[in-house]
Amino acid sequence: MILEEKIIALNNATIGYKAKTHSVNVVKSGISVYALKGELVALIGGNGVGKSTLLRTIAGFQPSMGGDVLIRGKQVNAYREKELALIMSFVSTEIIRVPNLSVFDLVSLGRYPHTNWFGKLLDEDRAIVEEAIKSVGLKGYENRMVNCISDGERQKAMIARTLAQNTDVIVLDEPTAFLDLSNKYEIVHILHELASEKGKTILFSTHDLTTAIAESDRIWVMLNDSVKQGSPEDLILNGDFASLFHSEHLFFDQEKGDFRIRKQTKQKAIVRGQGLAVDWTIKALERNGFEIIDSDTTSDGAAYVTIDVVYPEWTVIDQEQTAKFGSLLSVCRYLKGF
Amino acid sequence: MAETSINKNNGSRAFRILLLLSFLVPLFFLADLLVGSYYISVPEILKAIFRSENADAQIVLIINQFRIPKAFTAILAGAALSVAGLQMQTVFRNPLAGPYILGVSSGASLGVALLVLGTGGLLGGGIVSAVSSWGIVAAAWIGSGLVLLVIVMISARIKDIMTILILGILISSAISSVVNILQYFSNESTLKSFVVWTMGSLGSVTNIQLSVLFPSVLIGILIAFFSSKFLDAFLLGENYARSMGMNVRFARMMVFLSTCILAGSITAFCGPIGFIGIAVPHIARMLLQTAKHSLLVPGTILIGALMMLVSDIISQLPGSESTLPVNSVTALLGIPIVIWIIIRNKNSGMI
Repeated sequence: MILEEKIIALNNATIGYKAKTHSVNVVKSGISVYALKGELVALIGGNGVGKSTLLRTIAGFQPSMGGDVLIRGKQVNAYREKELALIMSFVSTEIIRVPNLSVFDLVSLGRYPHTNWFGKLLDEDRAIVEEAIKSVGLKGYENRMVNCISDGERQKAMIARTLAQNTDVIVLDEPTAFLDLSNKYEIVHILHELASEKGKTILFSTHDLTTAIAESDRIWVMLNDSVKQGSPEDLILNGDFASLFHSEHLFFDQEKGDFRIRKQTKQKAIVRGQGLAVDWTIKALERNGFEIIDSDTTSDGAAYVTIDVVYPEWTVIDQEQTAKFGSLLSVCRYLKGF
Repeated sequence: MAETSINKNNGSRAFRILLLLSFLVPLFFLADLLVGSYYISVPEILKAIFRSENADAQIVLIINQFRIPKAFTAILAGAALSVAGLQMQTVFRNPLAGPYILGVSSGASLGVALLVLGTGGLLGGGIVSAVSSWGIVAAAWIGSGLVLLVIVMISARIKDIMTILILGILISSAISSVVNILQYFSNESTLKSFVVWTMGSLGSVTNIQLSVLFPSVLIGILIAFFSSKFLDAFLLGENYARSMGMNVRFARMMVFLSTCILAGSITAFCGPIGFIGIAVPHIARMLLQTAKHSLLVPGTILIGALMMLVSDIISQLPGSESTLPVNSVTALLGIPIVIWIIIRNKNSGMI
């Protein structure tokens, strides 16, 4: 068996801040996780749990407060800035709004550790910059100014900059935070492609479970007391995701792989019919506080309504009256009166 | 490859503007020689410069001892303050930052105030005339040098750039208060000579002083040239700069050193000259349509020199015998330009 190199490895690491001269404000300790070559790793955790602190520690912006934080087997703080810049690049949550900075110039800043004192771009550097711009799908945007493009395009440009920096490791702090759904998917998909095709190790933090589960090879889950890792599916099966949020209002749907809001059910309903319309009728009823029951388990005598679905028509049968509706919106309006 | 050529075109547009500016600067230099309280015609000026042995000795004296040093000082002051302002705007990522944001000018003011007001108050008004211009220069330089020392010490210890900005502003406010106290307790004649110094003047720099001012400005500008890659990285903020391999503290030190040398020297010799340093970097960015400092540094040098020459010409009030304080002219010239830029670019958030 070939031993795979751990590109990023934390062994019993403590993260936090120096509070005063001798005391340390520990954010989290005992962190032992790693990432292999070519892996897309998502870091997941609630607000304030220390995701940014962990990423900043891994990126070398702040020292670790104990244990090992290793990048390719060497303590991250033992690297000199320039050495580290050849191995690891970083994208922060901050929105870059620089006047008169073109996409090309922004991406070419990634060549910083490779160029001479004056930052002169050689033909080779230009080719790398153009290739980077192309691989995030921004070809044709080279001369657009970065404060005149959309948030999604700007984030792609920032990723292209890390590609121009040509590092084995890329660390991104919430790269999809302020993006719309299609941009979220696109960005995470680009990261997935870069990891699997170019063999880069990419670590990103996110609040979006769905995209993280769909695209990541490995997930680090930051819980209140520990940090767990595994493939997304492992974490769903062993219930680690479920412990991410301890809230009576939320529960983790292991089938769908996402959190859902727990509803107080007040009434019962039977849904009869076939096809997709039945599934969505059930969802609509659940949202309105109905518990869906099987037609054979109604012997306890509790009150319930029956809904017959023959798309596009819904028939609501209560004890004494029957009503027909042409949309779920009007069904829901009707049921609210119960 | 089409994109590359567009990109190069963009660069060559900037290059053409730089070329145009470098023709305009000598032109305005000559124009600046023309104006003054004594009328001298163009042929006489050219004769005095190029064939001084055949020219009127008095005209040669005026040109060589007064007008050329003054115009040359204008070029140095405009270039130095603008490059200093550009560096501060980039490092602090603040469009309102200027060369004096670190407190350099208040340090210089304190030096001069201590010399002029202090000695004046101590030994009586008569001593003021005896305080040589070199004394004022030295006092201003020592004052701004001490502020530089404090700023560099702070920036070596403190990580956060915004903290440095706030400390710089606080230090300069504290120093200004001390200067105010000195002003409050000084007599009328010394007070006036100090106030006149704060209004700025290009005309008081002699040829010998130029031989000190010129190399100082040159050193400051050279450091800025060598820092242009640092400055590009600073555009994205210090974290990004570090993640791209920049030694942030060293880079910051270079930029502060350059700024303090440039702003400190000009303030020492000409007094505090406002607004050029804030306005010119914006004009340069707008004209050159770039954020790259390898183009912006030469751009601000040329535009700054041009602006200062124009300000000097205006302050001479051509056709009249009186002059205006150059500080007021730079403000009245610079402020409308910045207002225009802000309004013009407001929608696209260019500033």
